[in-house]
Amino acid sequence: MKNPKLSLFIVSGLLALGLISPASAALKWEQTTLDLYPAVGDKDAVGHFKYQNTGDKPVRFKSVRTSCGCTVAQTQKDVVPPGEKGEITATFHIGDRTGAQMKTVIVETDDSAPSVTLTLKATIPQLLEIKPTFVFWQANESPTAKTVNVTASKDFPVPQIKVTSSNPDFQTKVEKVGKGEFKIDIQPKTMTKPSSTALTIQPENSSKVFNVSASVMAAPVVPAVVNPAATWHVVPTPAPVTPAVPQP
Amino acid sequence: MARRPDAGAGYAGRPAAVTSHFLRQALLLAALAFVPAIGQAIYFRERVSWQSPIPPSEMVTVRQARAWGADVIWVDARPEEDFTHDHVPGAILLNEDRWNELLPPFLATWSPEKKVVVYCSTQSCNLALEVARRLRNEAQLKDVYVLQGGWEEWLKQKK
Repeated sequence: MKNPKLSLFIVSGLLALGLISPASAALKWEQTTLDLYPAVGDKDAVGHFKYQNTGDKPVRFKSVRTSCGCTVAQTQKDVVPPGEKGEITATFHIGDRTGAQMKTVIVETDDSAPSVTLTLKATIPQLLEIKPTFVFWQANESPTAKTVNVTASKDFPVPQIKVTSSNPDFQTKVEKVGKGEFKIDIQPKTMTKPSSTALTIQPENSSKVFNVSASVMAAPVVPAVVNPAATWHVVPTPAPVTPAVPQP
Repeated sequence: MARRPDAGAGYAGRPAAVTSHFLRQALLLAALAFVPAIGQAIYFRERVSWQSPIPPSEMVTVRQARAWGADVIWVDARPEEDFTHDHVPGAILLNEDRWNELLPPFLATWSPEKKVVVYCSTQSCNLALEVARRLRNEAQLKDVYVLQGGWEEWLKQKK
């Protein structure tokens, strides 16, 4: 090109777009974000982040860190020779999590590039949505029934649910109020003493169980109140009388 | 070549044309501004509001939490091995790894007059936010706070 300014402009543009690169070591990632959709009952969600060393020098992994103890990331190798491909496997342990989850893996290498953040976006299906998962009665409250609403996911129709209470002092009544919608009325039989129960909810067509807690609270401890009027009538304690010591 | 009578006069004397021109520009700019906004909305469609930073009213400092004395239930949202290694005295383990199993023992110690302070490590600070969110939304507890600075801040102020 005859115009040096134009050549410089084009080269800068191509460099900025990443279409050409100066001789160096660099990992090129196929994807830095993965969307995962684990099935109901899955214990883990696993993402594979694939890369290739597009540079002309080996790349060494300095560190691979995860944003959460629930996610483990593993490299296949410590050093990636030029031209070689590989992947980082990120395993997210679902545990009792539900809904949208985002976990990150931060990868640092010895090339000149800054650290790379790999993102796992997992949508964990929620078989039943239960609200609230805890009901309680104050000691001075009347023992009226409290309601817990249960809604089944649209993707997993639940024809019926079974509810069991760990404490017979609480009675429960289940009512189907719509397609995949249930109402559980919980009522303590007695309010005379603090008590609690763990309710187990199990969909008819699943082995997965869900929990709801219910408690009758203890009466709050009322701190002793000093009656200020009483202080007006305090009779000072007479000084102890020292017995007369017989004189020798 | 015939020259239009208003050529070179710009928009002078044509207020309607000026308004129309600026309106078109404004619409174009608004449309351009919408492109990244729509892109972001699509990209982050799975991100729900609780992943936004929590309001300061739901955070508590170590000093404030300590001032509450015995009215506080400390909740450790870190992984179990970290809890086993060390934790705030009297803290209860409650994390999302075993939420269904750990929630009932926590609720057995809870009472309405108590404040709940959830903490985790600054290395994994989202854990406390998520535990606090579930306690508020699912168990519908009030007075649930997240400890600013987490476990590390507690250790620092313990010295």
